[in-house]
Amino acid sequence: MATPKTVMVIEDASLVRLYCRSALEPAGFRVLEALNGIEALEKLPGLAVDLLIVDVNMPQMDGLSFLRKLRQSASSIAALPALVTSTESREADFAAARAAGANYYLVKPVAREQLVLFAAMFCGVPPQ
Amino acid sequence: MCDFLYRRTGMVFNETKRYYVARRVSERMTATGSGSFTSYFARLRTDAGNEIELFINAFTVNETYFYREDHQLHCLTANLLAERLRAGHRSTGLRIWCAPCSTGEEPYSVAMWLLENWPAVDEHEIEILGSDIDTVALQASAQGIFGKRALMRLSEPLVGKYFVPLQNERWQIIEELRQSVRFSQVNLIDPATTRPHGQFDVIFCRNVLIYFDDASRRVAAENLFENLLPGGFICLGHSESMSRISPLFDVRRFDDAIVYQRPDPRGTYGHA
Amino acid sequence: MPLVRKSAGAQPATTATAAAVLEGLASSSEDIRWAAARAAADLPECAPALAAALPAESAPRVRTAMLTSLARRGDARSAAAILSLLRSDDASLRVAALDALRLMIHGTAELLPALLGDRDPDIRILSCELARALPGETATPLLCQLLRHEPEVNVCAAAVEVLAEAGQREALPVLAQCAARFPDEPFLCFAIQVAAERISSRPPHPRV
Repeated sequence: MATPKTVMVIEDASLVRLYCRSALEPAGFRVLEALNGIEALEKLPGLAVDLLIVDVNMPQMDGLSFLRKLRQSASSIAALPALVTSTESREADFAAARAAGANYYLVKPVAREQLVLFAAMFCGVPPQ
Repeated sequence: MCDFLYRRTGMVFNETKRYYVARRVSERMTATGSGSFTSYFARLRTDAGNEIELFINAFTVNETYFYREDHQLHCLTANLLAERLRAGHRSTGLRIWCAPCSTGEEPYSVAMWLLENWPAVDEHEIEILGSDIDTVALQASAQGIFGKRALMRLSEPLVGKYFVPLQNERWQIIEELRQSVRFSQVNLIDPATTRPHGQFDVIFCRNVLIYFDDASRRVAAENLFENLLPGGFICLGHSESMSRISPLFDVRRFDDAIVYQRPDPRGTYGHA
Repeated sequence: MPLVRKSAGAQPATTATAAAVLEGLASSSEDIRWAAARAAADLPECAPALAAALPAESAPRVRTAMLTSLARRGDARSAAAILSLLRSDDASLRVAALDALRLMIHGTAELLPALLGDRDPDIRILSCELARALPGETATPLLCQLLRHEPEVNVCAAAVEVLAEAGQREALPVLAQCAARFPDEPFLCFAIQVAAERISSRPPHPRV
C-alpha cells in the first residue's frame, strides 16, 4: 500500500483549512496545517511533505514572504511544490507569486475538485 | 478554541498537546461551572472573570524547577553556543539572559548545565543575567535557597556538587554560583529597563509573553530583538511561538528545540 | 570559574528628543532609523513625521517598529497612515498594516463601518478580519450589515469566517439569506453551514 501523499495547508482562515481538509482527506491525502508562514517554517523541516497550499494574506508573515524564505533556504524543503491561493486576481498578483517561487496560483474560492486535481498533479498521483 | 488561544496568546497546541489541553479545559469547565464546552468557550472568548489568564495558569506549569525544559539547555550546548562562537566579531565573552528568572532556578540551571555539559566551558568567559519584574523573587534568586520540588530533576551527585544542605529540607546553591550570576529588575515592555543590559548571545524568555496583550507583546519582542546580538538566539516556552508575536526573528529548528534568531546582516552564520 | 559577573552597562537610558528622532528617521543607517522609530512612540509631536516616513521605509524591521509606534499612538492620523498601507500591492505591507491595525481596533472601531463599506473588495476582506478583534456583540451587527448586500463571494466568506468564531444568534437568518443568494458557491455554502452550526450551539448571551 503506497504511503499517502501529504499536503500542508498554510492558511489563517480556519474554515478554509477545514474545507481543504474536507476535500483532500477523502481523496486519500494526509493534510497538515499551519496558520502562517512562521508556523510553517517551524513545522516543515521535520516532516515529509509533498505539496504546500499557501494563502497570501496571513498575520505576521505573508505567503509570498514565506515562499521567498523557503526558496532561499539551503535545505531539502526549499524546492517543495507550492500552490498559492488568494482572493487577489490581478496580473500583478500572479507575477508577484511567480517571482516569489510559486509553482501555480489559484484564485479563491477554489472548488473541491480543483483542489484534488491540482494536489494529485503536484504530488504525482495518477488520475482517478 | 486552539485557534482562538493561538490568536489571543500566541500559545500553540500541536497534536501531542491536545490531551493536555483537553484536561485543562475539563478542569476549567468544572471550576467555572460551565455546563458545556461551547459555554466555556464563550466565557473564554469574552475573557469573563479573567478566564484567559486562569486557563493559561492552569495550563502552564507555574512552579519552576531546575533543568526545566532541559531540551533547550541541550540545544544551547549542542548547537547554539558553537554557532555563536563561529560567528566571530566578538568583543566580549558569551552573554546569556534569562527573563523572567522568577526565583532563580532558570539562570542557575544554565550555569550548572554549562559547567557540567559544555566541554569548552573553561575556554570562555560566560556572563549570565537573571531578571524579573518581581523584586521579591529577585531577592530570593540572589539568596539561592530552594526546596525539594525545585531540585526534583537533579541527580543526587549534582545536588551534592552544587548545593549546600540547610535545615528543613532546603538547599542553598553554592557561593561560587551565587556570585557568578547577576540579578536585576527588568520590565520586558520598558526599554529603559532592558536597554542598559546590552546585547546577548542567547535569551531565554519562557512562558511570560503569553500573559501580555498584543501591543505589549510586540513591544517586548522589539525590546528583546534589540537586546540580541545580530545572529543571537531567543528561546520561548515549549508551547509558545513567534508566529503570533512578531516577524522580526528567523526560525531555526534544531534537533532539540525550535529557537528564533536575530538576523545577521553580515551574512550566513554557518548553518545548513 | 568561567562564569563571570559583571556590573550592568554604564549607558544610562537617555530619553530621545523630538529633534533627534526627526533626524534619526531620515538617517541612512537602519539601526538609527529603528531606534528613532521606537523612540517616536513616546513623542506625540513626532507622529506626523513617523506617518510620513512609513510609506517610504524599505527595511522590514524598521517598518515594523514604525507601525508599532503608530499603533501605540492610536489616534486617527496614525490610523490613516497605516490604512494607506492596507491598499498596497505588496502583500508584506498589507499584512504588516493589518497586524498594526489589530492593535488599534479598540481605539479605531469607529473606522470599521467605513472600511467594511469600502469600494475595494480587498479592503472589505481585510476589514472583516479586523472585526475579529471586537467583541461578538459589536462585530455581529457590522458583519451582518455587510452580508445582507455584499456582492463579492470572497468578502462574504471573510465575514462568515469571523462570524463562525464570534457571531451571535442574530446572524443566523442573515447567514441563511446569504447562502440563498449564492447557491452555486460551494465554499461559501460550506462555510455558512459550519458557521451556523457553531453559532447555534453557543449559549445566547454568555454571562460573566
